[in-house]
Amino acid sequence: MTAPLKQFGEADWYETDLPPILRPQRPRPLRALAILALVLFSGSLIGISSAYFIIERERPLMAVRIGPWETYPYAGTAEADPYSVAIYTRGAKIPLASGEGVELIARTDSGGDTLQPMCRYRIHGQTPTARLWTLTATNGSGRLVETLPGRSNLTSRQLLRNPDGSFEIVASTTPQPGNWLPLAEDPFTTHGLRFNLRLYDAPVSTGSAMKGVTMPAIDRIDCL
Amino acid sequence: MILSRMSKPKSALSRFADLRRSRRSGSGNLIAGLLAVVSLAAIVHILVVLTIPQNATHSAYSNAARFGPDRAFNLLPDVVPGAEPLPGLDPAMKHALCRYQLDDGPVLFTASIPVPFWSMGLFNTRGDTIYSLNNRTAGSETLSMLVLTTEQLSILRENPPENLDELIVIETEDTEGFALLRAYVPHPSEAKLVGKALQAASCGALG
Repeated sequence: MTAPLKQFGEADWYETDLPPILRPQRPRPLRALAILALVLFSGSLIGISSAYFIIERERPLMAVRIGPWETYPYAGTAEADPYSVAIYTRGAKIPLASGEGVELIARTDSGGDTLQPMCRYRIHGQTPTARLWTLTATNGSGRLVETLPGRSNLTSRQLLRNPDGSFEIVASTTPQPGNWLPLAEDPFTTHGLRFNLRLYDAPVSTGSAMKGVTMPAIDRIDCL
Repeated sequence: MILSRMSKPKSALSRFADLRRSRRSGSGNLIAGLLAVVSLAAIVHILVVLTIPQNATHSAYSNAARFGPDRAFNLLPDVVPGAEPLPGLDPAMKHALCRYQLDDGPVLFTASIPVPFWSMGLFNTRGDTIYSLNNRTAGSETLSMLVLTTEQLSILRENPPENLDELIVIETEDTEGFALLRAYVPHPSEAKLVGKALQAASCGALG
């Protein structure tokens, strides 16, 4: 006769007809505190570590990829994404401004395999038009390493070229005939390898113009 | 009697439903916990990434103070392994850096570097490019560039210097910044000459 009252009355609060969320529960402060602490701890840990890994990877977003080469046309400009801004300010990096030139970085060969300091690579083909370009071999985080001849770069002015203007460079620890780009003297203690191609005074400085230009290919010859 | 006997299986059924409901609420708690963790992680991630620029103690601007006094071009040491003055510089180049504050007045940059290629970039404290040029786009063999704020430009316009039309005038809102001058060294034997030309470059007051 008093069905609704009987269902939600105070007398039968322990009945299971109440929806679970309304059912009174015995307070368990320690458990609640532990869960809260766990959520706070793991949330901050995941947040901080994911940010750290993305920043430490030093690969800004919005990259333009041409074969194995990558460039970040927005890095160092007001239009840069927050990740690039964080990477550049944290690393105190001074970008190559668009009026100066464009920097391209290769971390893999043309086949998509990560570059290794103990391998020999053939870099061949042509670069986009530029008044001057330099090719520098660094370790995985962009720092120069000791090499046998003391240099770790090649410039377009020193290069031997084929009659058609194309070139072939061999990157290797040991001396090579032709165009030799020296790699780390001690490849087994060097972490990673990166090729940095800097095109100075290049018409392709703006990001949109980078699409469809020819870039040199990087082929692995052999490894130690 | 019959009624009470019939009520027994019903209560077993409701007990079963209760068990199922409690199980569902248990997995609901787990999902809620995971959601809380993920959203907290996302907030922390975004906060960390956004606050890095403010908290970076070694920005390029603050590092630039190591090389010498402000408002003068300081020649950076050669880019060699293990002793790179700043990260990501080209070893084929010689660099000079000048840090300036526009509160001390407009800054005039002049340089004459006898190399096939040189370039200069102006950067603010965040490391963003304000302006950049190279020896082809500079329009002449020598560089002469004036950097000032909007107010300083309006004051300057009332009493313009004679050579104002020969200057590249850069109006900026960033009162603090630095200029990096890069000069290509065609051959190691010319390194000294290029270094001297870079040191002779000026970064100072107008007139």
